[in-house]
Parts: sequence; structure tokens; C-alpha cells
Amino acid sequence: MTRIVVNGVTCDVPAGFTVAAALLSVGHVALRRSIRRHEPRGPFCGMGGCYECVARVDGQADVRTCVTEVHEGMLVEVDPP
Amino acid sequence: MTRRLKSDLVVIGAGPAGLEAAAVASAAGVSVTVLDNFAAPGGQYHMQPGGSDSRFCKASQVRQGVAAIRRVIDHGGAILSGAEVWGVFPGFSVHAQDGEGAIRLDAQTLLIATGAHDRTLAFPGWTLPGVMTPGAAQRLAKTSGIPPGKRTLLAGSGPFLLPVANAVLKVGGRLAEILEARHLDAGPLTLLLKHPEKWPEAARLLWPLIVHRPRFRFGEVVIEALGDERVEAARVAPLDAGGKPLPEQARLVENIDSLLVGYGFRPQIEMTSILGCEHRFDALSGEWCCVVGDETGATSVPGVFAAGEIVSVGGAVPARLSGKIAGLGIVEHLGGDATAEERRALVRQLGRARRFADALHRAFAPPQGLPGNLPDETLICRCEDVTVGELRREMVNGVDDVYGAKLWTRAGMGVCQGRICGWGIARFIAAETGTSVSDLGFNQPRIPLRPVPLRVVQASLENGYSGQADGVVS
Repeated sequence: MTRIVVNGVTCDVPAGFTVAAALLSVGHVALRRSIRRHEPRGPFCGMGGCYECVARVDGQADVRTCVTEVHEGMLVEVDPP
Repeated sequence: MTRRLKSDLVVIGAGPAGLEAAAVASAAGVSVTVLDNFAAPGGQYHMQPGGSDSRFCKASQVRQGVAAIRRVIDHGGAILSGAEVWGVFPGFSVHAQDGEGAIRLDAQTLLIATGAHDRTLAFPGWTLPGVMTPGAAQRLAKTSGIPPGKRTLLAGSGPFLLPVANAVLKVGGRLAEILEARHLDAGPLTLLLKHPEKWPEAARLLWPLIVHRPRFRFGEVVIEALGDERVEAARVAPLDAGGKPLPEQARLVENIDSLLVGYGFRPQIEMTSILGCEHRFDALSGEWCCVVGDETGATSVPGVFAAGEIVSVGGAVPARLSGKIAGLGIVEHLGGDATAEERRALVRQLGRARRFADALHRAFAPPQGLPGNLPDETLICRCEDVTVGELRREMVNGVDDVYGAKLWTRAGMGVCQGRICGWGIARFIAAETGTSVSDLGFNQPRIPLRPVPLRVVQASLENGYSGQADGVVS
């Protein structure tokens, strides 16, 4: 298992998971708000092409969670919290 | 610091086509570097599972992928995974980024084998979290071993729905229903009878469905996703004779937390477009494809070759064959031994594989009447939050093609560069104006092809954007 922190909450997720899979497995499917209408969005294409699943990861904005693997101690911030 | 590499051939995309071409070329002594933007090579078809304990490890597609990857490496080819290409320039120089930063490759020849992705259409509610493409669910299942939700509605058209259904079931997901937009007729069965080489695959795809017996419905499409913060239900409707949804006959599919909708595939022609290669509208798949020589894989730009889904959407078998042909074409282009005879045999096999793929396109063409009469408040472009109403307003003012839609509404101008919305926008405009999708063109992609930090661009371009590398630094 790999320990990550999502919006301040510690979660243990299987090693090798993508961040999107890890978030889905702990119940986060809405990961951000859209730019004009501020509507909830989550993973859509699942292969790095649509940028719908971006979140702040280890302080870096707009990281695609569907093509990024979890690592020990990873800090993930999703919106809405 | 930019890593600068140099090889005779740079292959972009490590799916079935790219891997075959790389293996053939490296076996003939060509120095080859393969770039792929995923964590592991294989593409969508040969996708490598997340762990050695994955339920997918024994699948034939995975094992074939392992063998194809091994052939490239054994012949001295290099595969750079997690390397995303954001720019390609004549000469040729390829600019990519990975977790470590900028990578720049200079090459004499390029093979573009970037594959295809799910083809999607706008419908009310399609932006709700929990609504995904079938390909997304397949990747989730294969790489992380989880289903997209507890209870999934899978819809759209085409044989790809079957492996996705299987992948969802295999990792413990449940299927509310599977909706195939086309009416069931004898077509697919007759086709299958004529192609015995497809029987094992068909049996493998159908067997889990015989065991699990999910509810199959034909001639219905999803017209709306419902939910508050995520998808909770969907409205599905039958189609009229013209393939238009009949909302007044809609029914509700409730208690779902996942909705997957896809209508086949779109070739990823960004790189061949950027390089100025000639493209054609393929009426059967309804897609713009890169034009290549049948026996060479050569595009209209000297030194640029293309293979796989971007030359003709047809799945892994034609992709592998076109990859082999392009690999041999590249060997010849670089002055290697003539391989014409070997290629002619492959061209014959490719012809047969394409005939099967074309018949599937005919059998599962997305219904003509889609996306149907969308309400004004429906979002048509996800990145820029552009509604159907905004697009309709600009169409009254004279917008009549996809480029006009992009200029006047920003639809297709966001970070996905129209990959996700482009097909739906073209079909919508064609339907509203009574024209054909083939007349509307496609949006010329722009560099950077993918969002990239300015520090990476700066590092990559510090010695100009093109020209041969002065040495190999890694």
C-alpha cells in the first residue's frame, strides 16, 4: 500500500495506482470545477487527452491524475474539498 | 538541462503499429528511439497491467505486447515511456517532456503512430463526474484493477463495447445495461462467419457475457445524464428511422454511479497535421486520416511515415501490419536492402484485415441522427464551457465550419485542442446547416500540442527549434 494525503486526510491506496484510480477508490470522483461555469468535473478520457481530471499534486497545479502514479507521502488537493 | 538524443528513426507511439515498425527497423540496423506518453509501452491494445498480480497478465493482448516490446529492445531500440511530445519540427526535431524535464530528439525519419482515442458526442449532463469514455474504464480496469463505479451503464456503438464490458466485469464492476445504438441484424454474424481467424477472439469476447448475462439493448442511445455532483441516472431513448433519438419515448436507467459512452474511435492526427502531411476524409469511419503509400507507409512529406489507426481506423491487426510495412519502408528510405517482395505479402494481408475493419465500420456506424436536437444549455465544448446555445447564436451570425466555431465561440480552443469535442461539433454543425462533416474540415492543431511548462520549452529550444544535434548528451 502507498500512503497519500487527500485534502488533508491520510489514505492508504494500492501501490502502482494512478492518482485518479486512488481518488476514485476513496470516493472522490469530482476533482475540479470547470473554468467558466464552475461545475464539478472528474476523469473523462482516462488517457491523458482531455485534462478534465487535473488536480494539485505535491503543490503543482494542473497535474493529470489519470496518467500520474501515486507515491508515498503524495499530497493531493482536489476541488471541491 | 535538456537531454538531447539522436537516432535514424524516432517513433512516436508505442502501440501495436509503433512497436512493429520499431522492431522491423531496428532489426535492419536502423537506430530507433520510441517515445510514448504512458507509464508503460503497449498503447491501448497491448496495455501492460499495473502489477504482476493483475488479472490481466495472462491476456493474449498483454503477452503479445510483452513480446513486441522485447523485440524492439533485443534489436537495440530504445523505448522512452512517460515521454509526451509537445512539438515536432521539420528537419526533424521532436520535443518532448517527461517527469525529469525536457527531451529533444533529432532524427532523419519519423514514424507517427499515435493511435486513436474514444469518439464522444455531447449530450445534456455529459460533463457530470462519473461520465467517462469506455476507453477510460478499460484503462482504469487494466492498470489499476478497479471498475469505474459500482454499477455502470455502458453505451454507444461498436465492437469495442464488448472488451470494455469484460474489463469492467473482470475487476468486480456490475453492468446495469449495455446499449448498442445500432439495431441487431445478421450483418455482424455473417461477417464473422466469413472470417474464421476472428472466431477465437469473438469467443473470448462473448464468453464472459454468456456467463454474466448483462442486459443488452439494441437501437437505444443515452440522451441525458442526470445527477447533482455526479452521475446517478441516465435517460435513454430509441432512435427513429433516420437515427434520431426519440426523447418522448425515453426511459430512465437509475441507480448508476458510472456512465460510459463512446461511438468508435478518432485517429490522433495532430502530429501529421503539424508536419503538413496530406490527409483524407475516410467516409467509412467518418474520420480524417493521414494519407500514406500502400507499400511504404510514407506520407506526403519526405521522411515522415505513418502507421496504425491514424492511417485507417481498424484495430490492432491492421495496425501491426501497417507498422511492419512502414518499418520496411523506412529501412528502404534510409538506404537499406530493398524489401519490396516482403512488403507485397504484408500489403495483401493488410487488405484482408482492412476489409474486415471496413465491414465493422459499416455495421456499427454511429446513427446518422446523432447528436440530435440538443437543448441550448448543453455544453458542447468541455474545456471552455461553451454551450450549444452560444454556438447556435454564432451560426446565425454566419459560422458554418469547425474553424469558425473555434474563432467565434472558443469551442475547440481549450487544452484538449478539440480532441474530445471536435467530432461532436462537426456533426452538430453539419446537422444544423444541412452539410456534410467532410465539408467542414478539422481544426489545425497548434504547438504546444500538449500543455507544457515554459521552463521545459525554454530548455528545449535554447539552441533553436530544429537542426541536427551536435552530440548525444543524456
